Amino acid sequence: MTQKKKKLPRVFEYFRDEDQFAGGVAFCAGCPLELTLRILSKVLGRETIIVGTPSCSAPVLYGQNIGTWHRLPYYSCLMTGVASSATGLVRYYRKIGKDVTVVCFTGDGCAADVGFQPLSGAAERNENFIYICYDNEGYMNTGIQRSSTTPFGAATTTTPVGVVGRGKEMSAKNLPLIMAMHRVPYVATATLSHMEDFIKKLLKAKEKKNEGFVYIHVFSPCPVGWGIESDSAIQVCRMAVRTNYFPLWEAERGRFRLTHTVATPKPVTEYTKLIRKFRHLTEEELARLQEEVNSNFAFLHHLAEFETPKAC
Amino acid sequence: MKVRKGEIKVITGNAAAAYGAMLCRPDVVASYPVTPQTEVGEQLSRFHADGILDAEMVEVEGESSSMNITAAATLAGGRAFTATSSWGLMFMYDAMLQAAGFRAPVVMANANRETPGILAVSCGQQDMVSTRDSGWVLIVVENCQEILDSVIMAFRLAEDIEIQLPVMVNYDGFYLSYLAEAVEIPAREDVDQFLAPLKLQPERTKLVPERPLGCGTHGILVEFMELRYKHCAALERAKRKLDEIDQEFGEFFGRSYGGQIEEYRTEDAEIVVLASGSAAGTARMVIDTKRAEGLKVGLIKLRVFRPFPRERLTQALKGKKAIGVIDRSVCFGWNCGPIYMELRALSPDIGFVPMMSFIDGLANMDISIPHIERVIDEVYAASQGKSYQEVTWIPLEE
Repeated sequence: MTQKKKKLPRVFEYFRDEDQFAGGVAFCAGCPLELTLRILSKVLGRETIIVGTPSCSAPVLYGQNIGTWHRLPYYSCLMTGVASSATGLVRYYRKIGKDVTVVCFTGDGCAADVGFQPLSGAAERNENFIYICYDNEGYMNTGIQRSSTTPFGAATTTTPVGVVGRGKEMSAKNLPLIMAMHRVPYVATATLSHMEDFIKKLLKAKEKKNEGFVYIHVFSPCPVGWGIESDSAIQVCRMAVRTNYFPLWEAERGRFRLTHTVATPKPVTEYTKLIRKFRHLTEEELARLQEEVNSNFAFLHHLAEFETPKAC
Repeated sequence: MKVRKGEIKVITGNAAAAYGAMLCRPDVVASYPVTPQTEVGEQLSRFHADGILDAEMVEVEGESSSMNITAAATLAGGRAFTATSSWGLMFMYDAMLQAAGFRAPVVMANANRETPGILAVSCGQQDMVSTRDSGWVLIVVENCQEILDSVIMAFRLAEDIEIQLPVMVNYDGFYLSYLAEAVEIPAREDVDQFLAPLKLQPERTKLVPERPLGCGTHGILVEFMELRYKHCAALERAKRKLDEIDQEFGEFFGRSYGGQIEEYRTEDAEIVVLASGSAAGTARMVIDTKRAEGLKVGLIKLRVFRPFPRERLTQALKGKKAIGVIDRSVCFGWNCGPIYMELRALSPDIGFVPMMSFIDGLANMDISIPHIERVIDEVYAASQGKSYQEVTWIPLEE
């Protein structure tokens, strides 16, 4: 007797392996990292080695008290050594002719700040691995300090709001754009509200890593550090995309393409009002943030429309 | 078994390090240029370009990366080599500690150069001394031939299943890195054979896909203390292993260096000078001169700074009347030389005889023949019951 198979929603069709993670993992309630990792292991499969550092993802990915919550082999190094350790691994596997998917999985503090040099170095050398940065806009695991990807105005424990303090004074470093400027085979931005987009980019990453370096920047709201409800992370992701605060795009060797366009972007205040770290911002400060979002997107749009002039 | 004679070439210390590494067929090589080591990386790249070296060459963007790359490559199961000096060594310090903690059998050549304060682009062992507590095996050598031979022996030691520790081969920057000497380069097949015993050992743990193995973990755990305990035990085992490998190397290639220490005319000596690096060669000459004059003086060349050769030194120095130590670096906070300070810790074992610290040769100051003569004269006077100065900064007190 044959049972009629129920038609599954589309994103499940991309899963090629079972979830490599245990049922309960030690992330904060509502943290999108858990879903990101489960998807990652289901899409990329178990022939994956994870490389990472002390971070939010560390207890789950890189073990705690010699226990981990998954079955993937992993290499846990210092924040200064992620991209270089991954280089060591892939170079040796290449020497012995073994095809292995090595995935670096780190936060923005590692990728954009202390671990940036080896990241940029590995990209320039076009090493064959995938580097995924989950961007929660600060050092969340050590207690919500600002990083170079923390946006203008955000309150953190090192940019507190006080009598004179108004949150972070500088703008965020645009790391995915910087990585794309290395003209590596593949760079993309992704977030969990647009799951199919994310999965397609992961699959492309796995393919493109055979050509060289791959970088994926995953926008990852932090319920604890940002002051959002633990059931609202995906909603915040969606609003970040709808306001063009976090546009979804990809770049293949410096050729940019928007993978999702928003017909009428909402004002950035629709996004900031969901998040406590922006609550103190005045209209003028919010206007500056809006202006940053606009100019960032305009720049990206130019890049996506860019054609090599014939005269060149 | 004595193998065929190798080819003799006049090469620099840096080239000797590169030849030593190339002969051991590393899988991954990563190094960043820094004076006076740069030539090692250049030479290895040339070997690779000429098809002599079949390795993955990584032109890194900094030393921190060269250490992380080589450590990861060894933990994946490979053989890896890097080289650095001075600030480069300091820039990879975090990664060095991790490599040691991971028991990653990396072999690194380090051309000793000064580190702190003004930019002293010159020789000194301060860089190596600054990594004293990194958990690495720190070998110090005297001449270009010993550089080449020690790199080969370092792989045997590092990858030994009972050791599994990173090993640093230190040689005086400028004095040896740029000095060209006649060096016998062993045949490749002979080096293969010398390293072959490693293949007979149980396989090291390897990080490969589909095997749930983790390198590194977080948290507060009793296992951490156990790992530290085992690390210390491996360093202890490395002492005997150094002696054994050195002896085997001698039987194989006809050259040996004494293992942890080399004793020169110490047996009937009443006073002893302890030196390391290229200064040991000068000291040996001065010892001969003084011997000719009837002075019963001997030399100990320290070949390994970590693990500290406690037992061998005790055995060699017991019953001597006075000991002088020449250091090419300083021990901050103790106002003496670091090797001297370590030797003082052996006083209860050796006996409470006069021990004197001589600091010399910092930042390319020559540890000259007159300097060593002065060391011997002062140590001799102390052995005769004369009052003595514990610490002497030789060039400052001429």
